[in-house]
Amino acid sequence: MSRFGVEGSLRAWDRFDAILALTALALVGYGLVLIYSGSLGSYDGPTASLENPVVRQGIFALIAIGAMFVISRFDYHVLLHYAWWLYGASILLLLVLIPIGQTDFGSTRWFALGPIQFQPSEFAKIATILLLARFLSEQGGDARDLRVLGGSLAITAPVLLLVFIQPDLGTTIIFAAIWLGMVVVAGIQRRHMLFFGAVFLAVLPFLWTFTVADYQIERISVLLDAEEDPLDAGYNPIQSQIAVGSGQLLGKGLTNGEQTQLDFLKVKTKDFIFSVLGEELGFVGAMALFALFILLLMRGIRAAQIAGDIPGQLIAAGIVITILMQAYINIAVNLSIFPVTGLPLPFVSQGGSSLLTLFLGLGIIQSIVMRHRAYRQF
Amino acid sequence: MSAIGDRRVDPGLSRNRPHGNVGVLRIAVVVLFLVLGARLVQMQIVDGAEYAERSELNRIIVESVSPTRGLIFDRNGQPLVQNSGSFTALITPGFLPEEPGSRYRLYLYLEDLLGIPALQIEEAVTAAEERGQRDLPLPIARALDRETALMLEQVAADLPGVTLSVEPRRVYPGGPEFSHILGYVGPQSPDEWRVLQEDGYAFNEVVGKVGVEARYESALRGNPGTSITEVDAQGDLITTIEHTDPEGGRSILLSIDSDLQRYVYDLLTNTMGEATTAAAVVMSPVTGEIYAIVSVPTYDNNIFSLPDPGEEYQALLDDPRIPLLHQALSPVAPGSTFKIITAAAALQEGNITRYTSRDVDSSVLEFIGEDGQPYYFYDWRVHGEIDLVGAISWSSNIYFYMASCGIPQEGIVGLGANTEQSAIVLGYYARSFGLGQVTGLDIASTESPGVIPSPEWKRRVRSGPLFNPEDRDWYLADTCFMGIGQGDVTATPLQMAVATAAIANGGYLLEPYVTRQILGPDGTLLSTTEPSRERVPVDEEHLAVIRQGMRQSVIDGAARLAALPDTLVAGKTGTAEFIDPEDGITKERAWFTGFAPYSAPQVVVTVFYDLGVGGTKAAPVAADIMGYFLENVEP
Repeated sequence: MSRFGVEGSLRAWDRFDAILALTALALVGYGLVLIYSGSLGSYDGPTASLENPVVRQGIFALIAIGAMFVISRFDYHVLLHYAWWLYGASILLLLVLIPIGQTDFGSTRWFALGPIQFQPSEFAKIATILLLARFLSEQGGDARDLRVLGGSLAITAPVLLLVFIQPDLGTTIIFAAIWLGMVVVAGIQRRHMLFFGAVFLAVLPFLWTFTVADYQIERISVLLDAEEDPLDAGYNPIQSQIAVGSGQLLGKGLTNGEQTQLDFLKVKTKDFIFSVLGEELGFVGAMALFALFILLLMRGIRAAQIAGDIPGQLIAAGIVITILMQAYINIAVNLSIFPVTGLPLPFVSQGGSSLLTLFLGLGIIQSIVMRHRAYRQF
Repeated sequence: MSAIGDRRVDPGLSRNRPHGNVGVLRIAVVVLFLVLGARLVQMQIVDGAEYAERSELNRIIVESVSPTRGLIFDRNGQPLVQNSGSFTALITPGFLPEEPGSRYRLYLYLEDLLGIPALQIEEAVTAAEERGQRDLPLPIARALDRETALMLEQVAADLPGVTLSVEPRRVYPGGPEFSHILGYVGPQSPDEWRVLQEDGYAFNEVVGKVGVEARYESALRGNPGTSITEVDAQGDLITTIEHTDPEGGRSILLSIDSDLQRYVYDLLTNTMGEATTAAAVVMSPVTGEIYAIVSVPTYDNNIFSLPDPGEEYQALLDDPRIPLLHQALSPVAPGSTFKIITAAAALQEGNITRYTSRDVDSSVLEFIGEDGQPYYFYDWRVHGEIDLVGAISWSSNIYFYMASCGIPQEGIVGLGANTEQSAIVLGYYARSFGLGQVTGLDIASTESPGVIPSPEWKRRVRSGPLFNPEDRDWYLADTCFMGIGQGDVTATPLQMAVATAAIANGGYLLEPYVTRQILGPDGTLLSTTEPSRERVPVDEEHLAVIRQGMRQSVIDGAARLAALPDTLVAGKTGTAEFIDPEDGITKERAWFTGFAPYSAPQVVVTVFYDLGVGGTKAAPVAADIMGYFLENVEP
């Protein structure tokens, strides 16, 4: 074995963050329950079948958890070492997607690999986090310098633009948040942040007019007044609002939500799974979910805090931001305070590739936590 | 792995990098979840009840269930209408694919299946969308044959927005001779829909348009049921929460005898000669019920349930004879049939008695007009010495000038002290016999009241730039012509039948009706029409004189051709002169109104042709009708 990754790696298991892992498992379990309820109307086959979405999600979860353990065994510096390659591969995949990807609802986001959908932007998130962490740490982990800031922006911008033209507004925002969060952790100066804020505000009208796809404008205007077009673009926001609102304090009971079971809600095991929760388990159920997410994120932030070195800290921060923003945007869509963007709820929504990416991220965080003493610098 | 080691990232490059910024992440987590939590409080706790109500509305569908429309039978129980199914293809624009290309492909598919051009469907859908009726099913093809309907039903599941409906359809098996009585049903007009939706009418529900179908709409329709169901987002039924069955429409038993109606219709159409329109009314002088009411020409009311009645409907509208118009309810000059009313007025007023006689030794009577000029009024023949019975029998014009306007140069006064008063008195009697107003026949149709003129009326309608000032004045001639049913007097055949009935039954003005009984959906009798009668202000002794005159007319007067071998018929002919506006030639309308049997009247018959002579054209036809009636119809 080489020099790195060896020291303390065998002893490291007792530093494995079991709370983080168990919280993630709890979220997946919560998701399985909701997927069960949400798929009652569409799936009526045998319980023990690979066709059963609950079983499928369970199997994906097992695979993903396995992947988490495998990744946590590796020193995250291996990944940092290959960061440029991973990043390059991401760009390539996003480019290839343009001519041959699958187009659904006017947006081209994934490849079909046999029965599995592969979404390059999921992969690109990890790659971008790794490269930003490496770049920023190579510059002393100090984003106060405008050149460092410019360099980090130059890394983020290509993936962000490639995602934006798919178009995928939600993931674009997540990339922007990853960059912003990581440079904040790396100590961006307040005046630089104000400058970027001003540039963003100046460019916004231009973006709105020329580059935001019509469907996004429609979705945003529908958000402002969903009743404007109740059967088309306004349909999902209205139905999810009704579902969540009608759940009230305690919910209608699992599998008893009319909005869910009578199919008024769409994509209810994926993008709108939170509405199922809101309707059937009510405010109390939602608070339980929030508690799990907050616990998970705080454990992630703890990893960033105790990380043994700058790249470890930045990677952990990037992954935390990704999970936070994805959860926030997904739930905000369900609550009609954000336009419909098609982001899954992390750990909860049905979907193998999303689950795999998330647990890979957790695996990297575990790797950071398990090695923080070995790389202790400060 | 050694290659990796060479490029190892040095983690401790800078010792003075700022720390502690991960705290920002904690703040971000807390803030973002607080935002979500606040929104949840608002939606679930504050507005939760409202959303719960909307969730109910979402899935609970309250629909009205259309009842089966009631049937219509003739007096003998012969069905005059049947309910049958009609398949209609419907499009709900709101459920169509949004994308124009797939929409048009759907239209093209329907074009193949239904034979309706895709462009036409597109136009109809666009028009409906512009009216804001996106969610109302729009009929695009009606009266599909069974095979097409089944094919459509099979594919409709794959065509979003396309549905097949089975609509009840009215079939009128009796033939066109019943169209004017029954009328027809049709889709609601926008104005009707605005009113009827309050009564729970469905948008596509048909409604009676004219005739008995319209007049008895509420009875025939019945009471809609209610169905409260839980549906899913596709509108598919999940459970039925509540269901009340509709109460079927009530059935109507007409007083019409369908065989008689057909007989009269055939008789009139076969005796038209030069006439273009004709009408006949057969009614009971006892109850006012109508046994037959015929209008020639007629129309086929079945065309209104055709998928596109446009062409045939247009043909009806273009026909100069106006087949949609009910001739028995349309007013024309009643001519000499009006003399029975003049006679009643004069007898009651006492300006003549049954014994007043006049020697009509010339067919010309010279009047001195208001301007001092002589005017010549004609009779149709030299009658010689005649009394009132003779004057009715032979229909003497000069005798009735004397009875109505008087003969001023001989010092004979008319009905009133002067010309205008005479007209007003005659108008009063005409109205009390039901003229100048609608009879109230229970057929929703354009029944016209006709005109009973008066000096006041003339001043009103002859004003304006088209008339000279002197056109407004009431002259002696106006009263005189009114007395013989000419001039401005108009009456419908039905009004003349009602007036005749009042003379025949000893002075009771009846409200005519075609609906004898209303039956429940199970056939139980719900109600029977009660005859409505009103006394006319003429004593029975005077009416007896008029009946005698009408009897005499059939024995050896102008109505001889109305005689029947074994029944005593009484009647009055009328030959109303008019100037054809097209060629300016004076032509005649043929009238006959009478009753039988003379001593105990059972039936009143009024016959009218727009061209012809009453005594030769209308009288024999009326006799045939009376003969048929007395032999075949149970009153």
